[in-house]
Amino acid sequence: MEPEHLKKGKMGEDMACRYLAGLGWPVLARNVRFRRGELDVISKDCDEMVVVEVRYRSVGILVPPEASVGPKKLRKLVLAGSAYMDRIGWSGFWRIDLIAITDRDGRISLEHYRDITGGDVSF
Amino acid sequence: MNLVKAVTLRGVQAKEVDVEVEIAGGLFSISIVGLPDASVREAKERVRAALKNSGVSLRGRIAVNLAPADMPKEGSMMDLPIAVSLAIRSRSITLDRPAIFIGELALDGRIRPVRGAISAAVLAKEQRLPLYAPVENSPQIGLVPEVEAYQVETLGQILSHLESGIPLPQVPPYKVEDLPLSVDPDWSDIRGQAMAKRALEIAAAGHHNVLMVGAPGSGKTMLARALRGILPPLSDGEILENLMVKGLLDSDDRPDRRPPFRVVHHTASTVSICGGGTALRPGEISLAHRGVLFLDEFTEFRRDLVEALRQPLEDGSIVVSRSSGTVTYPSRVLLVLAANPCPCGWWGDAVEPCRCSPSDLERYRRRLAGPVMDRIDLQVSVSRLSPEELVGLSSSHGESSSKVRERVSMARERQRARWSFGGWGCNSEVPEKTLRKHLNLSSEGKKTLLQMAEGFRLSARGMGRVLRVARTISDLAGDDGVSSSAVMEALAYRGEI
Repeated sequence: MEPEHLKKGKMGEDMACRYLAGLGWPVLARNVRFRRGELDVISKDCDEMVVVEVRYRSVGILVPPEASVGPKKLRKLVLAGSAYMDRIGWSGFWRIDLIAITDRDGRISLEHYRDITGGDVSF
Repeated sequence: MNLVKAVTLRGVQAKEVDVEVEIAGGLFSISIVGLPDASVREAKERVRAALKNSGVSLRGRIAVNLAPADMPKEGSMMDLPIAVSLAIRSRSITLDRPAIFIGELALDGRIRPVRGAISAAVLAKEQRLPLYAPVENSPQIGLVPEVEAYQVETLGQILSHLESGIPLPQVPPYKVEDLPLSVDPDWSDIRGQAMAKRALEIAAAGHHNVLMVGAPGSGKTMLARALRGILPPLSDGEILENLMVKGLLDSDDRPDRRPPFRVVHHTASTVSICGGGTALRPGEISLAHRGVLFLDEFTEFRRDLVEALRQPLEDGSIVVSRSSGTVTYPSRVLLVLAANPCPCGWWGDAVEPCRCSPSDLERYRRRLAGPVMDRIDLQVSVSRLSPEELVGLSSSHGESSSKVRERVSMARERQRARWSFGGWGCNSEVPEKTLRKHLNLSSEGKKTLLQMAEGFRLSARGMGRVLRVARTISDLAGDDGVSSSAVMEALAYRGEI
């Protein structure tokens, strides 16, 4: 039996994938593991690859999901993202999106933040 | 070929800058190279937001190169050209000919006015390139004749113009109003002071630098302020010269026919008066170009500052040299100095006794002498008004500013006609040798001068100054020759207080 937080994380990623399908974006890969981090979902927006970071939180946890991605996590995402693009030989545009999911006792809300590094790649 | 051009300022001169853009795959980032200063480096945040709000989203690794690479670039006026070249690149718009773009971007895509718009317009005219500029800068750009300039309000507007040829309004030629209502004191507001008023009228007519000496409260400052009202209005060319300098500091100056009037406090630094700093900003003496520079309490000014004024007064321009470069600013000013006659201020006053010791006086006088005094053609003492004059019993208010201004303008016209062969505008600009040759001194005038030269112990330079002022006095009178009375009057302003 999986621990509770992993189960919830998996649930969030499933929700995010359903949401992406709704946008018409294909899910190219899930849970790509690297030595120093993991990419939750890899998707594609037209001709641009998108690394999607999914955050799932139940209400009551003080920090909202979108605030839980700090500079350290961003740095990891950028490094892992670059490594992934290298691995698959992608030389086009790519970006990092955040999907934040909040569970308020069953009422689920989802927020999609595009391009969270926003050109600030000074790491 | 690179078609989007920006400008950067080097003194009053705008220098052409090529904006090159390269977009490669990868995570979004912008780097700007080509010696950008902080405001140019920060452009990327404004550019990205403005483009996004105008319907262009940027992707990939973006390199912006500002060429030539070894020239430092400064100012937020680079925002628009960078944004335009990025939009052109990512939307594959083609420009059919090179163009200059200036403007600062707001995050929502509006275009804000910039400093130095006139300089950019002059460059555009010289290079025969179209100029796209913020609408708020139109009054200044409209002063430059025959420039092909378009006024833009938003980035979206300019993109739809470049993409689908939606026409943009041209900058209309700017007609400067003749003379706005003056807020300065009128000439007729000044009671008494006939001698000082006359001296200032001569100063205005011949563009002679003037020193007023008088007790505190005698009206020196008011006289100086009123002087602005009797100076002839600026010509279109002079307005352009002045605004080119002023435009480096302000982005929304309206052209004005009134000559500038700048007051400098004696605590001012040499840089603030002469210009300088790493950005090589113009100083007060250049901002007062074609107008009046007024130094109140002249004796309180630091010695080195006063010395620094000498060269620009002589040459009509000032060379500002710093490690970051050298620029030349114009500095043709009418210098007006005001000072107390002695440290306590009451020397020579009819009522109040002077309390200064002879050594105090001696030290004070020495401050009033010196190299800059060589550039002062007129000295006049401003005495306190009598009680009758103060109460207004003798209500002879005299002429209004506009009437005196007419006379001054006429005298200027005569001078311009006489000196047109050398390109000088007034008697004070003419070299001594030329002045003496074309003076047309009458024989009585010559006789008077000979007599007085001995009595006054005139030096060669002093003599030259007397002749110069006498020439202006005759011009005011509409006289082709210089009469003996003009010489006498000029001698009266020689001033040895």
